[in-house]
Amino acid sequence: MYEKDQMIDIIKLITDIKHGKLSSSYSIAVRAEQSLENLISQGKWNTAQELMNLIKLRLKKIVHLLPQEATTNNIMRHILKIIRDEYDAGFKSKAEGQQTLHHLVTADLDKDATDYSKPLPSLKLALLDHLAEYKVELEASGDNIASQASEHIHSNEVILTVGKSNTVKKFLKFAAKTRKYHVIVVESAPDYQGHAMAASLAKSNIQTIVIPDSAVFAMMSRVNKVIIGTYTVMANGGLRAASGVNSVALAAKHYSVPVMVLVHMYKLSPIHACAYEQDTFNVFASPGDVLPYSSGPVLNKVHIYNPIFDYVPPELVTLFITHQGGNAASYVYRLLSELYHPDDYYL
Amino acid sequence: MSKKDSDIGQKSDIIQAVIIADSFGNEFLPLSNDVPLMLLHLVNKPLIEYTLEFLSFGGVEEVFLFCCSHVDAIKEYIKNSQNENVIWSQTTKVNIIISESCRSFGDCLRDLDAKGLLRGNFVLCEPGVVSNIKLLPIIKKHIESSAKDKGTAMTLIYQEAGVGQYGRCPREEIVLASNSDNRVLFHKKINYNNERKINFPLEVFLENNCVSIQHNLKDTHIAICSPSVLPLFSDNFDFQTRDDFIKGLLMNEEILGSTVYWHLIKGNQHGGAITNWRMYQALSQELANHWFYPIIPDVKKYSECFGRGAAVGHNCSISESSNISKSIIGNNVTIGRNVTLENAYIMSDVKICNDCIVSNSIVGPKSILRNGCKVTFGSVVGANVELNKESFIENSLVQSKRPEDDYDDVDKLGERAYRLKLVDDDEEEDIVGNKLARRFSRLHLDEDYAKSDDDSLESSDSEDGLSHVHSPVPDDTNMFFSEVIDSLTRGFEDKLQCDNLILEINSSRYAYNVTLKEVNYNVIKAILNLPFQHSSGQQYLPALLRTLEYFSPILKNYIRNNDAMEDCLQAIEDVAASNNELCECIAKVLNWFYDRDHITEEAILLWYDKLDKISRVNARVVPFIKWLQEAEEASSSEESE
Repeated sequence: MYEKDQMIDIIKLITDIKHGKLSSSYSIAVRAEQSLENLISQGKWNTAQELMNLIKLRLKKIVHLLPQEATTNNIMRHILKIIRDEYDAGFKSKAEGQQTLHHLVTADLDKDATDYSKPLPSLKLALLDHLAEYKVELEASGDNIASQASEHIHSNEVILTVGKSNTVKKFLKFAAKTRKYHVIVVESAPDYQGHAMAASLAKSNIQTIVIPDSAVFAMMSRVNKVIIGTYTVMANGGLRAASGVNSVALAAKHYSVPVMVLVHMYKLSPIHACAYEQDTFNVFASPGDVLPYSSGPVLNKVHIYNPIFDYVPPELVTLFITHQGGNAASYVYRLLSELYHPDDYYL
Repeated sequence: MSKKDSDIGQKSDIIQAVIIADSFGNEFLPLSNDVPLMLLHLVNKPLIEYTLEFLSFGGVEEVFLFCCSHVDAIKEYIKNSQNENVIWSQTTKVNIIISESCRSFGDCLRDLDAKGLLRGNFVLCEPGVVSNIKLLPIIKKHIESSAKDKGTAMTLIYQEAGVGQYGRCPREEIVLASNSDNRVLFHKKINYNNERKINFPLEVFLENNCVSIQHNLKDTHIAICSPSVLPLFSDNFDFQTRDDFIKGLLMNEEILGSTVYWHLIKGNQHGGAITNWRMYQALSQELANHWFYPIIPDVKKYSECFGRGAAVGHNCSISESSNISKSIIGNNVTIGRNVTLENAYIMSDVKICNDCIVSNSIVGPKSILRNGCKVTFGSVVGANVELNKESFIENSLVQSKRPEDDYDDVDKLGERAYRLKLVDDDEEEDIVGNKLARRFSRLHLDEDYAKSDDDSLESSDSEDGLSHVHSPVPDDTNMFFSEVIDSLTRGFEDKLQCDNLILEINSSRYAYNVTLKEVNYNVIKAILNLPFQHSSGQQYLPALLRTLEYFSPILKNYIRNNDAMEDCLQAIEDVAASNNELCECIAKVLNWFYDRDHITEEAILLWYDKLDKISRVNARVVPFIKWLQEAEEASSSEESE
């Protein structure tokens, strides 16, 4: 019974995501972090193992109900890693002083076998401290990324972006404080989020042009940089971005225009999935956006796909900009091992 | 007690919804005997699941589920899903209301009025609603219009849909007239009971500057209701359905002082209700195609490996040699070798053995189809049915239990398989429209049959077109041909004047909109076919010549120019190609036409040039042509001399 009370938190989160109440990945991330913080501070657990099991249970629930959602899972995986680190640190500090190279090597082997079931009274406080830090990191992530804007955007450049992304918006607005430059926004049919993006940019006095998706290739020759956001970064450095981004990236490749992707750390996912696994990789939205239901009997005969995501292979991405700075796509695996524990990659 | 008080305090704020769980009809026989409509599986999930998810998605916080039958099953199901913390259970509270005495939709609402549970505006869902409509803006609009117009009782929600779309049920065709405020002025359901005309009251146009008349709508069966709806139902106990209610309000607008508004949903919002098997089929396909996103079915594989559009549930075992297209398969289904499924809806725990064929049909849960079964043409196999080896089921309903006594001639197919007669559940008089309506409520057949549906509609005054669902495509020309045959037979038997027959044929020509060319061709064809009705073999030729003599004036009337002659010869050729009798004596027939000056020599020779030289007809014609050519040479040589 108790178990169920706890899960309600997560189910509420899932419901909100599903019903579109939490639209930006930042708010999803904050909610996920918050709910785990609650679990750690109020939940009934005695050992790290128990806590990790509780979190894994939640992870599985989310994977089951929202197979395409990555942000919550990444946050939870990272917190699992934090628990492991704190646990190890907690025991290490007790046994401080005996660290030799030989000890490190053997201890590492032991560690894999370590069951995290020994009670560690200081763990809870340490975790809450660490989570508070992590929360600050989350909150500052957007600003940290934006503060790098002046390194990447120069005066009189033409920047192209696709659809709407809060991170990109922040980034461009930050650059506009010191530089004058043009932005071309691809409207990104069929949801046309580019319109809202362009309106918001224009409000901050940035020269903005909206173009249809079909005009991307024609405009690309005039573009200096493509700056986009993404939903998820796959383990190989490929992107799961809004549909239409792949063609933009290909056009950029053709004209050798650099493609920069702004990512928060919680968007890096340890999962490999790519274009040919459409069922696991993609979400298909209502065909009504593409062909209205009033189109008549033709709908009886056609099968309409309206994918939300596009897979962009890593070789089309020039640079990932995280709050720590720029990284190439080939470096993503390294970032992953910093973020998550290998045991938590697959559940 | 205190909790209840606070509930009442909040009630005006939270959004409430009412779901009526029963359709009160027999549309879903034989499955509705075992499974309540609400728990009927639609693409692997019970229907109620979609309805509740929709309401929770739309922001509804309290749902009253009104059940009249199968109460225990529904109760248990809801309890289980609440325990399992299904997604909707977090945002939406479900109350089950039981009243087994209710016999109609109206009764349910009267009962609800007596219970006094609903205080503010509420969402009313008719049985079987599936949708992803965002309710909040529509509710807001409803509140706005009720602020302007105190009498606002209901906002109906419609969606645009084209004619001929599967999701637009021909049984629920409506015509709606409204003014610029979206107030409904006129609302009529056309059930295809031979009504070709619609009468609008004159006031509709006199009292409004601007009237829009719509016939492009599909009913979502969802409505936003003001609190006044329930008392209105109580006051007018003859209101049985929502349509009665709308009709009543519009007719007695002054007396009841209530008005109805409507709302058109746009974009990716989508709605519909399962009111019969046809809609079940349409909505299944739409669900599988994600029309109701973000409400999507839980199918594991929605893949291309089995041809186009197959959705497969969990734990299924499907043989590689099976051929599946446009079908939906539930959980735990076993499918054997060489099975063909086309447009089939297989529910959970079904076992289909080797070499079965299921097309355009529904197979209920836990049924078993033994080797070599064939289930086709809009059949519905109920729950727990076991079909014996090589059973053949076409266009019928099959259930597992022996039907009640009032079904006299029971058709037993096996230990657990009884065929229900399709027509015997008639309580209403068997008028044409009713029959049609029933047919429209059944499954769609494939393309060709869908087409024949449309055609028979256009000529819905003839009984023939209606009763034979499987008869060959009765396109206009074929109909015209059979009409001509009828006219001629009657004319020949009753010795009618040929002039009158010509008139009759001409009028059928206009009725079916047939071109002159086709008229000529079909008339000749009909005349040539006529003798087959009485005689055959040796007697054919004399009988034919007698008929030809008799219809000579008709021939004269139709064969007027060279084109007509060509059509005539074409007809003779076609009939001869398919009938031995005529082929035998084709030369004599041609000679007759030539002698009577119906066809000229040139026309015959021209036709002969085009004739397939290796055909059977050709061999028979050659002597006649030779004779013709010789005669021609003779005559020309005579002339030259």
